[in-house]
Amino acid sequence: MSAAPPDNDVLWARGIVKSQHGTPALRGVSLAVREGEVLAVTGPRGSGKSTLLGCLSAQLPVDEGEIWFHSSPVHTLGRLGREKLRRERFGWVGSEPHLVPELTARENTALPLLLAGTGHRAAYTAASEWLERLDVADCAARRPAELTQAQRQRIAVARALAPLPRVVFADDPGAPLHREEREQVLRILASAARSHNLTMLLATHDPEPAGQADRTLTLIDGRIAGPASSTAGPAAGTTIAGATGSTATGSTAVTAAR
Amino acid sequence: MFPLRLVRGYRALDLVRWLLTAAAAATAAAFLLRSLGRALGEPSATSVPRLLWCLPALAAVGWLSAAAARAVPVQHPERIAGLAAAGYGPVRIRLLIAVETALAAALGSVLALLLFLVLRNDIAGPGLAADVGLGSSLPAAAPVTLLVLVPLVAGCAAAAAVPLTDALPGRTAVPHSTGFHPVRIAVPTGLTVVGMALELYGLRPGAEQDGRPVELPAHLGSVGTAALTGWAFTALGLALLTAPLLALAGRLLALRRPGPVRLLAARSLTAEARPLAGPLAVLVLGLAVLLAALAYGDEPDLPVRAAVLLVTGCAVGAVVARALEIRAARREVTASLVRLGAEPATLRAAVAVRAAAAAGALLITGGLTALFAAACLV
Repeated sequence: MSAAPPDNDVLWARGIVKSQHGTPALRGVSLAVREGEVLAVTGPRGSGKSTLLGCLSAQLPVDEGEIWFHSSPVHTLGRLGREKLRRERFGWVGSEPHLVPELTARENTALPLLLAGTGHRAAYTAASEWLERLDVADCAARRPAELTQAQRQRIAVARALAPLPRVVFADDPGAPLHREEREQVLRILASAARSHNLTMLLATHDPEPAGQADRTLTLIDGRIAGPASSTAGPAAGTTIAGATGSTATGSTAVTAAR
Repeated sequence: MFPLRLVRGYRALDLVRWLLTAAAAATAAAFLLRSLGRALGEPSATSVPRLLWCLPALAAVGWLSAAAARAVPVQHPERIAGLAAAGYGPVRIRLLIAVETALAAALGSVLALLLFLVLRNDIAGPGLAADVGLGSSLPAAAPVTLLVLVPLVAGCAAAAAVPLTDALPGRTAVPHSTGFHPVRIAVPTGLTVVGMALELYGLRPGAEQDGRPVELPAHLGSVGTAALTGWAFTALGLALLTAPLLALAGRLLALRRPGPVRLLAARSLTAEARPLAGPLAVLVLGLAVLLAALAYGDEPDLPVRAAVLLVTGCAVGAVVARALEIRAARREVTASLVRLGAEPATLRAAVAVRAAAAAGALLITGGLTALFAAACLV
């Protein structure tokens, strides 16, 4: 057990090991995500992207390793603590919209706010604003079954962004969409993250997700392959800690040139 | 047998379904065998009405089998996916579920037959001697023919109930529409109003001279034709109004700025009103009749008690099966709510509020049905 990680990172993970369905999905992944950064995680299918996002977003408990969110440990939290963290700090967009079918688009978008205890009027105002920002304001009163998949996915994005979470996890949000729509959804997510200074982790099997991202990590078979490349990120060279002392789990150092 | 081998993979819930079907089938078979035993003892007597009395029992078994079979594909999506991948089409999957249900019913029937044969073997005391036809020889074909009836009814009901489209994987169920066609509301409302008027006419102050020609079973006395027809219309209309009323209860629940609990409860009640209404309407109708009969009838004897138990048990079982089916179908929705960070307490509270609202709507239909039934019997 080492000391707490550097506190300028929003999310900091070291040596995460996680098995899913009997096969090792993550074999020692270490990474650090800066405040306001858009980090893309790429890799082929089955490389552990979704598992990584699941672990980092406190949905899946890790087998080994540490995860810290703003200098407080996530890996030691109980179920209720993880739910609270997800409800109040994290937003999630999956590859399927997973909207509640009997709620209208506006109600779906307002639901996380209502669950977090926001008042009815404030929640619905915020929901309407986000739907408008995502160009689906005309669908606000309709149910998911009456909408196209692209509209549904936009509503899922609005639902994730409406509570203004600290970190948005997007697990291949463009998967069910055509290329044009996919790029549009990614662009919307990235620009929303930038304009509200949200941190975003974006998993995608698209090798070029990623004009949108500040930095790209490539996962292969549950390990980070090679140094993370920096795309259009603000230049400031940092080496992200993580390799020190965790060689026992076979963790890979992430060296990011930022 | 393939259906039996599939049973090995079942969990407690499916075994309960199996045992319930078997128990209901055994009770229905016992009624059939009793009427057979009576017919053996007094051949020329009223054996046809006695057989007709077995029809409600058979209907109850069919109702339970149908409700339980309908829930199977939703509760075992991975199994249905596996069977479909192995080349099972929707018809064969439907057949498989039907055969499995029929096997459970056959098990119950055979148990009832064994009991019947054991009782015939001089064990039956004087109280049961007439029921098992003690002293006269038993033609082998008779019990077999009667007992084939129970698995047949259960299997056919199951086959008819399994939804063809949902029985294949990858079909996301289309949500039920929440609106009702005006005709769907107007016809039951008309039935209810006409029925109430007819019954009130049958019970008007000077109605005594019409006489009370219809003799009710189970020592419930006699009623006038108009009153009975009126009640039947009212009960049917109210039962058909259950779905719109549940949907309306959901809409009312969502009024005036609902919080998350009330919003989830209300919208899901409106959305699930259609699938919930059938079993609930049958249960409420059964309970209303039972309450009225208990209030105004004599102390029931053993066969009547068994029949009441069977019908009520099957009706409750059907409601539980439908509730489990809906819960299984909403697995994805629940998972996405949990992913949003909804606390289990919030979800449980939503279920409780939804149940309370549904109970409120059912109190109206059930209360009116029971009230009018009681008015008939006074």
